Amino acid sequence: MRDAITVRNLSYTYPDGTKALEEISLEVHEGERVAIIGPNGAGKTTFLLHLNGILHGTDGQVEVFGKSADKEKREDIIKDVGIVFQDPDDQLFMPTIFDDLAFGPINLGLPEEEVRERVEKALLTLGLSDYENRCPHHLSYGEKKKAALAAVMSMEPKILVLDEPTANLDPRSRAELIEIIKGLNEREGITIVTATHDVNAVPELADRVYVLNKRITAEGTAQKIFSDVELLKETDLEVPEVFKLFEVLQCFGYNCEELPLSIDDAIEHLTRTVENEGGHIHLHIHKHTHDEVKKLKSKYEHHKTNK
Amino acid sequence: MIEYPEIDRYASLDSPMHRFDPRAKIIAFIFLIFSVVLIPDLKIAFIGLFFAIFLLILSRIPIFFVLSYMKWVAMFVLSFFIILAFTFPGEELAKFYFLSVTAEGLYTGSLITIRAFSAIILIFPMIGTMRFDTTIKALDRLKVPNSLVQILMFTYRYIFVFVDEFQRIWTAMESRGFKLRTTLYALRTIGNAMGMLFVRSYERAERVYQAMRSRGYTGNPKTLVEFEIRMKDYLLAVSIIGFAISLHVVSFVGVV
Ligand SMILES: Nc1ncnc2c1ncn2[C@@H]1O[C@H](COP(=O)(O)OP(=O)(O)OP(=O)(O)O)[C@@H](O)[C@H]1O
Ligand SMILES: [Mg+2]
Repeated sequence: MRDAITVRNLSYTYPDGTKALEEISLEVHEGERVAIIGPNGAGKTTFLLHLNGILHGTDGQVEVFGKSADKEKREDIIKDVGIVFQDPDDQLFMPTIFDDLAFGPINLGLPEEEVRERVEKALLTLGLSDYENRCPHHLSYGEKKKAALAAVMSMEPKILVLDEPTANLDPRSRAELIEIIKGLNEREGITIVTATHDVNAVPELADRVYVLNKRITAEGTAQKIFSDVELLKETDLEVPEVFKLFEVLQCFGYNCEELPLSIDDAIEHLTRTVENEGGHIHLHIHKHTHDEVKKLKSKYEHHKTNK
Repeated sequence: MIEYPEIDRYASLDSPMHRFDPRAKIIAFIFLIFSVVLIPDLKIAFIGLFFAIFLLILSRIPIFFVLSYMKWVAMFVLSFFIILAFTFPGEELAKFYFLSVTAEGLYTGSLITIRAFSAIILIFPMIGTMRFDTTIKALDRLKVPNSLVQILMFTYRYIFVFVDEFQRIWTAMESRGFKLRTTLYALRTIGNAMGMLFVRSYERAERVYQAMRSRGYTGNPKTLVEFEIRMKDYLLAVSIIGFAISLHVVSFVGVV
């Protein structure tokens, strides 16, 4: 499979001297879903801005489908990489939703007919068909967030880059958005790069995870990353609630090697275990249970104790 | 709460003014506004005012909405009226100590007041009868310089964000016991808040610009819009412009 994004030794220092990225190397394969997680100020947003040539590394290089994001005409990169920014008010800058969705395709130089088709399609994908003529300032935050994604989708990028897609959303909007993003990957094969600290969304949005804290401190499946206690402590990261729950269950004698990360995983896991163990699961309190639970709890309190 | 500046609040009503093609409407009204502010004769200025009010009524925009804007204009214009009435040289009508009211002063003051009111009233049937984004697009189609169109477009979009941002800062200040007084402390705090607002806007501008570049902004954003000008639009525009011209013909010939 070819690489959608290849980053080599990328470093970036802001003009005021803030070192935001140091020696980043990573790759994202075509059709893959990758999450970049890290604490506030880790440089996630800064990194994403390199992916379509908005920022240029002080050192190192970024390639998109083998083309350098520095040298090539920016237009080419923009066509392939769509970035959805964290704050939808930054992204929806045109007077109406229609204008905003049409903005990208018009800039690509598409004929009017095709611009309209693309806008229609993006509205449909995001379930915003009635919003065409609405003004952004009259929309709810969740609707704005969807509209911002639609505005990027209308450019039909091959790679979709999302900065905190689930931040500040209510549970329903959050679930909807996650489903939409998953769908885009499954149905249209769009490569997805998500920067987030919503760890509960990571298992749903990513096959592979990079931990970023100015530099890349770890890489692997969500499974592997969330099992690495030291790493999590170092980078001040959380673990999905489902994962924690199953660790608790382990203390009560539940038998499993790979802990599930999401509800879907958990259902599958429980079903398998119940079937294997003859129709029920066996939990009990043994002499170490309380100690283990205590240990487990202190493990996840590093946020409080460290500070 | 601070109110949003929504000149287009009644854009969704239906009236002949609402159905008027945006481009024809803008041209006809701008013509009429210029005509009205240049009227040299008080009686004809009144005719202009009545016509403005007629168009306003035709647009079905509620009067109280117009009045809420007019009160600020009125304060400004009436101060002019008073200054003119007392300072314009001419035939003395009354005298208060060393200040005297002149007939010419009253005349000129009234003329300016009436012209100003007419012009302001005409703004409402013009841009209050379509959504502001339509106005912007119409201006763009009328070949108004693109940079001006962009300034309007982004101002219109971000004034709301700006108001929200100010509201947040203000609420945060009030919820920590800040009260608006004329003490040095209060003024300094407001100064800080303004500075804060400025910094936030600057940072936002930077992020918006990044988002724009990410979607291929090169300096001339275009919009798609379907305007359809019909016979009745031409007729309406021509009648309004005709009326505007006749106001001046009449005052020139001096029929009234
Ligand atoms: N325009 C700028 N000028 C100077 N420094 C900046 C600028 N933007 C960000 N930084 C700094 O660069 C570092 C990385 O910021 P960045 O916004 O990329 O982090 P992030 O991981 O996206 O954080 P968050 O999770 O809060 O969004 C921070 O220390 C930040 O203060
Ligand atoms: Mg960020």
